[in-house]
Amino acid sequence: MDRKNFLQSTIPLLATTGAFVKDQTRDLESKKFPPYLKPGATIGITCPSGHLKMEEALPCINKMEAWGFKVVPGRTIGIRDFTFAGTDEERARELQQMIDDDGIDTIMLGRGGYGAVRIIDKIDFSKFIKKPKWIIGFSDATVLHLHLNCKLGIPSIHSKMCNSFPEDESTETPEQADSIDSIRRCLLGEKMVYTAPTLQQNRIGISKGRLVGGNLSIIQMLCGSRSQIRTDDTILFIEDVGEYLYKLDGMMWNLLRSGKLNRLKGLIIGAFRIKEDDPGEEFGKSMYEIVMEKVGKFNYPVCFDFPVGHVLVNYGLKCGMMHRLEVKQDSAQLFSLQ
Amino acid sequence: MTILPPYLKKGDTIGLVAPAGYMPEEKFQTCIKTLHDWGFDTELGKTPGHQFHYFAGNDKERTKDLQRMLDNKKIKAILCVRGGYGVGRIIEKLDFSKFMQHPKWLIGFSDITVLHNHIFSKCNVATLHAPMAAAFNDDGFKNEYVKSLYDALTGVKANYATPSHPFNHKGSASGILVGGNLALLSHLVGTSSDIKTRNKILFVEDTGEYIYNVDRMMCQLKRSGKLDGLKGLVVGRFSDMNDTTIPFGQTVEEVIRDIVKEYKYPVCFDFPVGHQDENYALKVGAKYTLNVKASGVTLSES
Repeated sequence: MDRKNFLQSTIPLLATTGAFVKDQTRDLESKKFPPYLKPGATIGITCPSGHLKMEEALPCINKMEAWGFKVVPGRTIGIRDFTFAGTDEERARELQQMIDDDGIDTIMLGRGGYGAVRIIDKIDFSKFIKKPKWIIGFSDATVLHLHLNCKLGIPSIHSKMCNSFPEDESTETPEQADSIDSIRRCLLGEKMVYTAPTLQQNRIGISKGRLVGGNLSIIQMLCGSRSQIRTDDTILFIEDVGEYLYKLDGMMWNLLRSGKLNRLKGLIIGAFRIKEDDPGEEFGKSMYEIVMEKVGKFNYPVCFDFPVGHVLVNYGLKCGMMHRLEVKQDSAQLFSLQ
Repeated sequence: MTILPPYLKKGDTIGLVAPAGYMPEEKFQTCIKTLHDWGFDTELGKTPGHQFHYFAGNDKERTKDLQRMLDNKKIKAILCVRGGYGVGRIIEKLDFSKFMQHPKWLIGFSDITVLHNHIFSKCNVATLHAPMAAAFNDDGFKNEYVKSLYDALTGVKANYATPSHPFNHKGSASGILVGGNLALLSHLVGTSSDIKTRNKILFVEDTGEYIYNVDRMMCQLKRSGKLDGLKGLVVGRFSDMNDTTIPFGQTVEEVIRDIVKEYKYPVCFDFPVGHQDENYALKVGAKYTLNVKASGVTLSES
């Protein structure tokens, strides 16, 4: 699939802490926003899920230092308990410590994989709620995003993590480089503009709402728990990787049947790297058809092929913050309003 | 109490439908013949043998076929020939009002878990989690597991025994049995077909999943409060498990052992229910007693 047109030029806006435009519509449930960073701020790296080698983290560390930040790599980088970056206790302890440490301004997660749900209930967010900081990551980190955005009302950044920074920058496409740079722009508080391809499958419309979402499998598996997604009046975005079409279909039914698609302001479909049907088991519907079948009766805008997900071009998104989605005949864009 | 549909007598008619995946005709012939040998008549729906891509007909066709069997008073039980995927797509389209006036046994497992849970939570009627058509093939119709379906249909109370397992929690408990395929239970959380597990005996089984995914789904059940108030837990078979390139480091049984270690209720592992030959018929919604001892485990209908 061609993913040519992405982020257009963003207008740098030197937002400082608290300099948000307060939205007059039904406001965010967010109690407090993490402050945007200034050059010289400190970013801690921890791995709450899968294990990551130090050499895999280096390109990201170097990049963030080049952006003018100090980087504190956690001890969970380089340690391993089978698939995990340490035992549940080790991973929980370090995440807790970075959350509570006043010397850490922001937390970048090392890698996805699996494991965040095993430790989320061990984390004490009482200090974090009073003094929130940006937590950055995606995929398995959707557990943290939903817990933060929907349970605690604190925004976070859905974006590439340590292991998705290229070792050799000369191999990067401009769009890939731009999507990595979007993390910096998010952290500095720039108002973001994202552009998706114009597709006939899109549903036209303009709307405004808080952005929530992430990995669909994780969204589904948090249903019923205290970290579950709350989608009323939001712009929902979803992405996934390695699932069969029938699994996608089942997960979309779960969202629909549990009332999570009824009262959206908009729907953004990121990259779905679908697992090919087994021979003789062809599902017979495309990803577009599967989605539209569930949301056909609603009126909100729907934007497909948005540059977010398990792909090279995966833009940083400020989850929990107000956005405007504009899906038109000849364009599809998302604007961060805060 | 849950409503138990009337048990079957010789000459009663069993309807066959395929509400999910496609099944070729030759795969359900032994099943039909065995049902006849057991003394039942059968009525073949339009969906078994019919194909629409992956499915045994499109959503409308599958809905219509199952609806007809639900509504037809002459049909005393409905056997789903195959699971796969697809019940979740049609469940909201089904009308159970006639079914509730004259309940009948609905038989199947795997994707049919959607029907078991939906019918139990919406209609308060018991259903049969039991072998489907493929289980009758290759001499399967002779084994005790397929025969347990006959017993269940004709009102013989089940009394299953299985060997002890090192991870078992000893104890005894009575309660209504609910459960089914873990992935489907996970997909139903938050929907109107979701089951309340408080004071119930829960059973789970699955196939073809990654170990980490079983961990994730069990975490979901736990975090959504579905494991706290159980009377007992029956861990069925988890067949054909996949592991990631970097091994997860635990077997499925170890994963579940760790997730339920804090609970005091009886837990039994490796119970013969799941996607392999050893798959006893269980009545979802009926009352059972689970007895987990050092010498072995029994699960019997109260």
